[in-house]
Amino acid sequence: MVLQILLLFGLVFFSVLAILIKDLLKAAISLAFASLLLGIIFFRMNSPYAGVFEISVVAGLITVLFMLTIALTKGGDAVESKTASFAFPAFFVIFIIIDALVMKKLLQKVPALPGPEVGGTIGQVLWKARTLDLVCQIAIIFAGVFAVLALFRKGGNKDE
Amino acid sequence: MNNTWFLYMFFVAVLLFTGIYCLLAMRNLIKLFIGIGVIGKAVSLALIATGLAKNNVLAAQSLVITYIVVEVSLVAVALALIINIYRKTKSLDVRKLAKLKG
Repeated sequence: MVLQILLLFGLVFFSVLAILIKDLLKAAISLAFASLLLGIIFFRMNSPYAGVFEISVVAGLITVLFMLTIALTKGGDAVESKTASFAFPAFFVIFIIIDALVMKKLLQKVPALPGPEVGGTIGQVLWKARTLDLVCQIAIIFAGVFAVLALFRKGGNKDE
Repeated sequence: MNNTWFLYMFFVAVLLFTGIYCLLAMRNLIKLFIGIGVIGKAVSLALIATGLAKNNVLAAQSLVITYIVVEVSLVAVALALIINIYRKTKSLDVRKLAKLKG
């Protein structure tokens, strides 16, 4: 459990780092580190398939997409306000104190709904119990592909 | 729900706060999507932790896998939009986007 808590602290640390670092490339790499730690946390929580997806897709593919975008846009010229970065630690500490004091009592008031026990293997759950999710995933992937094709089509933009 | 679940929910809340702060305070469009990524991590952690606490980790895993696939599509389309915005305006500042006319 101690290792799990350390991993969770690492996840929060790298997520905060990803938001506060000014260099976008370093921010994307910190986000990938956070995904890697989250994948290890999933492995330790008896969820190997979610861990594999988290590490391979989120830490791998999405980081590559971020880096490609940063390279194509040269990071942009947006200047972050200094107050946002300086105010963050104060808000963060205040939120952690409120979180530690209030969250458990709040969550205990939420009634726990009885859920159906799902047995079998991950294949059975994914392909039989959640077939509708898979169909929707296929639709979303096609929507994404067509949207990217439409956004990058050649000769369609007459303004330029 | 056991104490471990509350511990996970504590970290989920901290991650959610970090992501929402990024969405509210930052100006760079790519930074905003990094914030959305952080919120996504919080959501997946919440799903798996709840699945583990309710002894139903298989359903939680399938939900997380679905979420990750949707997130990839979302990020691909959003980054394509960001590249197009940069080509048009030569800027990634959200404040300048609000000033666009016509």
